[in-house]
Amino acid sequence: MENLRTDAEITWCTGCGNFAILTSVEQAIIQLENKGIKRHEILITAGIGCHAKIFDYLNLSGIYGLHGRNSSNAEGMKIANPDLKILSFSGDGNGLGEGLAHTLYAAKRNQDITLILHNNNVYALTTGQFSSLTEPGWKGPSTPRGSFEIPFNAISLLIEVGATFVARSYAGDIKHLTDTLIKAIEHEGFSFIEVLQPAMPYHKWEEFKDKVEVIDNKPRTKEEALTLARALHKFTIGVFYQANRQVYHKGLYGDYNPLENKLSRNERIDKIRKILG
Amino acid sequence: MVNDVFTFLVGGKAGEGVKKAGSVAAHIFASIGQRVFQMDDYMSLIRGGHNFSIVSTSTRWITSHYMKADLLVNFDKRSCETHINDVADGGIVFYNSDEHEDVNGVGIPFSSEAEKYPMKNLMYGVGAVAILSSAIGMKKEQMNQSIKNQYPRGIENNIEYANTIYEMVKDECYGKFILSKGEKQRPLITGNEAICLGAIAGGLNTYYGYPMTPASSILHFLAEQAENFGLAVVHAESELAAINMAIGSAFTGARSMVGTSGGGFSLMTEGISLAGITETPLLCILSMRPGPATGVPTYTEQADLSFALSAGHGDFLRIVASPGTIEEAYYLTAEMLDLAWKFQTPAILLTEKQLSESSMTIDLDVSKVKWSEPRMHKKGDYKRYAFTDDGISPLLFPPSNEINKWNSYEHDELGITTENADMIAKMHEKRNDKVNALVNHMKKIKSVNIICGEHPTNIFAYGSTYMSVLEALKYGNLNPTIVQPIYLSPFPSWELEQFKEQDNIVVEQSISGQFTNLLTEKAGINVRITIKRYDGRPFDPIELSKKISEVL
Repeated sequence: MENLRTDAEITWCTGCGNFAILTSVEQAIIQLENKGIKRHEILITAGIGCHAKIFDYLNLSGIYGLHGRNSSNAEGMKIANPDLKILSFSGDGNGLGEGLAHTLYAAKRNQDITLILHNNNVYALTTGQFSSLTEPGWKGPSTPRGSFEIPFNAISLLIEVGATFVARSYAGDIKHLTDTLIKAIEHEGFSFIEVLQPAMPYHKWEEFKDKVEVIDNKPRTKEEALTLARALHKFTIGVFYQANRQVYHKGLYGDYNPLENKLSRNERIDKIRKILG
Repeated sequence: MVNDVFTFLVGGKAGEGVKKAGSVAAHIFASIGQRVFQMDDYMSLIRGGHNFSIVSTSTRWITSHYMKADLLVNFDKRSCETHINDVADGGIVFYNSDEHEDVNGVGIPFSSEAEKYPMKNLMYGVGAVAILSSAIGMKKEQMNQSIKNQYPRGIENNIEYANTIYEMVKDECYGKFILSKGEKQRPLITGNEAICLGAIAGGLNTYYGYPMTPASSILHFLAEQAENFGLAVVHAESELAAINMAIGSAFTGARSMVGTSGGGFSLMTEGISLAGITETPLLCILSMRPGPATGVPTYTEQADLSFALSAGHGDFLRIVASPGTIEEAYYLTAEMLDLAWKFQTPAILLTEKQLSESSMTIDLDVSKVKWSEPRMHKKGDYKRYAFTDDGISPLLFPPSNEINKWNSYEHDELGITTENADMIAKMHEKRNDKVNALVNHMKKIKSVNIICGEHPTNIFAYGSTYMSVLEALKYGNLNPTIVQPIYLSPFPSWELEQFKEQDNIVVEQSISGQFTNLLTEKAGINVRITIKRYDGRPFDPIELSKKISEVL
């Protein structure tokens, strides 16, 4: 697909929802290129988990970081050079477990980045423990008698803390996922997509197929969006919320670019002399 | 006066302008060309408790405050009691006569005089400045000018209050401590300010931090100066976020820095490790306070040395260095930023509260600093982790048509994840080659500061303890050789061969003697005795000089 794939050996399980996510991201980037976005201005970050393997497969530059810290890497990229577009990949454990604070803070700040949360409802790579989004009763190696914590509602949580684009999509519908990715990447501000996907050792596609439904009407206000996100079941896909709010880097330094506009050595030395009097 | 040094101590509760009064005193001394060292001793609270500021001044280079003060101004009884033994021979003590009676001092009704004004408690500091002004024989007009400049809020009331106090103490102390004019006026800055300015001079673009004493003032100073210097300065949600953001910024080519103290540094170690394997150039300021855990937030210690030397899991090159003076903090910060970028690895500037938060008059050659210049990819296909002779792979910043992958997993030359045995070993060797490259580079720069003396014994100290030792030797008129390793990792053992079997003494602020152990382990230095202090307080030059002369 026009060099968007590396030569790395793909090690996801046969039938894994991650293949569809990879394909959708590639298609979204190609369609965005047709709209004038430059591929080399797109950077990616990933945490650790099955989701993160996408870093090795996508022929794009970026950081394959630590578990849970993909949003922080992405924020640092955007803050240093706001001309770049950043896609950050996360799993449900990575982004709402170890990296919960970073996910919520990136949304609170309205960082102009896109967070794609591969939700397979489980810690797949570490052999099937319950995650932040797992329903009670999950019998995994860390909860042999069944988990008993309630899951987060990722959609209402992200709306509440300040994300300005919040959507859910589904790995079984590449068209919907591709379209949602394009909308999210084009959105100025923090865009969040929860992508429903099965993990093959633990789920079957059939568990999703019958339940997935598309949201009827896009809510107009934050309150409407929250009400809807709480009321609808977890297989409802679509854009739940979109709003305009000042992005973080504009608040921090306006139209400046810390790298493009950086001061020369001599300008710095002169200013330091002035400070020292 | 002790030797040729005049010392002023002001003490009281938090919220009474103690620190400000110390700072105004320091500026007054600096303005007449004197050299100054100011140390603030404060507790981790906002109101109440006991704080004091101590300012020592001389016409010669002075590198520590003295705990024997010539002029003491105590705003409360607790301050009088605390500093009862801190009075130098011939010293004068002023106390608040509205609170208690003290036969050893001169009572001043600070409270009842301040009652007349709306910002009453905040005026005590102004009163202390008035007493100092009188004691050093400053004309009233000069004092009023200083107060105007230094206390911009409620100028008229402050001047009126100061004049009242000035008149009250005239008979007791006017002109008792006349200070000679120094050769020139020098800037007065804290260690943390020197670190910030050095980083800026060296090319800093982004700074990430989370408040933690004694590193918070780095975040504050840079936030204040962000617009002036075109920096992005961010107060992150945690030290975990801070260091991972800094790594994201470094990817784009931004010279990035983080700063914290021990507790925050514990969180940052995962990022230090990430910087190790991704070969991220990153500068971290670690300003030590007494630990473990929350420890004693606003005091000083040198007990995170071993931790810094091994921070982060796994084998990788860590550059660790510690400035001995505030001037050195400026140059060293820029130099370490340069080294981090040249060798693409994390660098830790290790310092302590005593240097971070103390103020000193400085002689700086502002332009004599390094400007960080990494090795850049020129042309052809790009491999982020290309194998090279010295282990250093050229850098490339976005946007670029070449693919540039930084990977926390072990990786191949392209940055793609690998579990291949051969590749794992090769990548370890590549990163390890940078150690030799760095050591070769360090042999060309100043990595140890040696001041030769006539006494056959050598004294080893690093960080701000070096300043305490210098002042102690000056006070005691002692003349051993002083050895101050600036770099602690890689350890410059090649510079220390000559000292191995000589008579060596170490001075440090760690109960387990971490620095002593480093000297023995890395350089085979035979250490006869270690003088330690670990009560959170910096060494006092008089006490330290006694301890040193006992063992010389």
